Amino acid sequence: MHWIEGIVQGVLLGGLYAQYALGMALMFGVMKIVNVTHGDLVILLALIGISFADFAGIGPWSVLVTLVPIGAAIGWLLQRAILNRVVGDDPLPSLIATFGLSIALQNAMLVVWSADTRSLPGGGIQQASVEIGPLFVGVLPVIVLVCATLLTGGLDAVLRFTRYGRSLRAASADVEAAAMVGVNPKAVYATATAIAVGILGFAATFQAMRSTVAPADGPFMLIYAFEAVIIGGLGSVWGAFTGAMILGISQAIGFRISPGFGILAGHLVFLAVLAIRPQGIFQRKS
Amino acid sequence: MTYRVERMTPSGRIALLAGAVALGAILSMPWWASQGLIRDVITLSCFIAVAQMWNMLAGYGGLVSVGQQAFVGVGAYAMFVMAQLWGLNPFVAVGLSLLAPALLAVPIYLLLHRLEGPYFAIGTWVVAEALRLIATNTPMLNGGAGMSLRVMTQFSAHERAIAGAFLAALLLLVTVGGSYLLLRSRYGIALTAMRDNPVAARSQGVDVQRLRFLIFVAAAVGTGFAGAVYFMVQLRITPPSAFDMNWANLAIFIVMVGGIGSIEGVLIGAVIYFFADRWFGGFGASYLIVLGLLTLMTALFFREGLWGLWRRTFDAPWFPTRRTLIHTGRDTS
Repeated sequence: MHWIEGIVQGVLLGGLYAQYALGMALMFGVMKIVNVTHGDLVILLALIGISFADFAGIGPWSVLVTLVPIGAAIGWLLQRAILNRVVGDDPLPSLIATFGLSIALQNAMLVVWSADTRSLPGGGIQQASVEIGPLFVGVLPVIVLVCATLLTGGLDAVLRFTRYGRSLRAASADVEAAAMVGVNPKAVYATATAIAVGILGFAATFQAMRSTVAPADGPFMLIYAFEAVIIGGLGSVWGAFTGAMILGISQAIGFRISPGFGILAGHLVFLAVLAIRPQGIFQRKS
Repeated sequence: MTYRVERMTPSGRIALLAGAVALGAILSMPWWASQGLIRDVITLSCFIAVAQMWNMLAGYGGLVSVGQQAFVGVGAYAMFVMAQLWGLNPFVAVGLSLLAPALLAVPIYLLLHRLEGPYFAIGTWVVAEALRLIATNTPMLNGGAGMSLRVMTQFSAHERAIAGAFLAALLLLVTVGGSYLLLRSRYGIALTAMRDNPVAARSQGVDVQRLRFLIFVAAAVGTGFAGAVYFMVQLRITPPSAFDMNWANLAIFIVMVGGIGSIEGVLIGAVIYFFADRWFGGFGASYLIVLGLLTLMTALFFREGLWGLWRRTFDAPWFPTRRTLIHTGRDTS
């Protein structure tokens, strides 16, 4: 029973991690770059949301509706101002640029919001739970998981069936050939980053509701997103989703073994997957 | 026709002499310098060593790591365990502790080299985080509370100063001098070819994978050496300080601002970082904002760094590696 509860908690935690991971999988798939500020943007959006909720006296769902477009705008701007200049075969410029930006962003948030941990009041929904058989399951984590599933399915459908999805897949397969047949790579890239950071608007709201945020937390979220993407296998959004579940379950079971072991268990599972199945769980060997 | 290949330049000879004088000055510090100055020089030497190792990785090996703090921490903790727990002479322990990063670098590389460029970088970060958590959860290392190097009290302040100065000089000799020798050797030609274009280098018979592996292990040892020396002087170690992300920050800042792919750039960048940290470190967060933005700007607009800018105007390398063909004989055909 103890372990089943751990697995259920892990899957629910995985719902949150999936929301971190989707955008990273999308951006890497399209541009072969990692945005080191990925986690810091979750924190930035969450802090903006908390301050906004406090200032305007609005509830968490209105915050969510506000943060997603703000995230998309930040993502678009990030791509236009910075990432478009560093996309290329050499991984160094994009890594160093976003690494520097991440340090600047973390410390700027520290100046504006101080090092305090904050959270978003959810109007009682954080405490609500339902009894399923012998288990009590929180309502909010279930909403997070459902949201993550819908986002993954939606993103997958966009990539598969829309005109934009086709141009995005074309740009990720061969950017020069795509440009020759009329795809504008810079526009595709900007939209991809806008979607990626827009999804972080969901992640930020739920992170701030489920637990707390502080300016220095970003790197951890970047690492969880990264682990989920690698465990699941590169290049597929459902892979990232499943990787997030595996990461969540590993951490939840780790926490049950010993409170100090939870996060480490996630890292160890990540390294084990890298050792045994480096192409990820769901990727066929290329 | 006869030709001669020349590598040394007048500027290189002057720099070599200046380097020898600098090493001599460091070695003699215990007899003329204050405790504070010795400590500063040791710290600066550690910064230079960590940055130069990152420069070899990212600048020549094409291996961008943001987790070199893993090896700083492992080298330092190995030194503390040998000296404090096993009772070895601390100075012998510094030497033996280099085995730990070397042995650890092998499996880490074998795991991480499967990841593509940017993912390799984040992978090194995960390893550093995992090691930090392992150190925090290991009772032998006194967990999160950390360890003190109490055995150092058996030595007088003067003895410690001599050892510190000697280790700082040796660290610079191994990391900077070693890199220079490597770059002048035939491996250096292969490394430079790899830096400029890995695919073309492979087509010319350079074993890129093997060279990358060797660079990764060598950089781990150099970085671990710096960690052992730094924390021996600090006398205290905790998991957050040993596996501090700031080691990656400073290496990246120093190399990028100074000029990636050159030893001169590392020396310039390290001096700038050291004094910036000294003068503006008190501003805390706002100082780090500026540091981060400078790193960003360098990556966007200024990728060759300060040394690259200097080199555009003046052709006077301190560490010349370029081979010049000089025509000496007459054409007799």
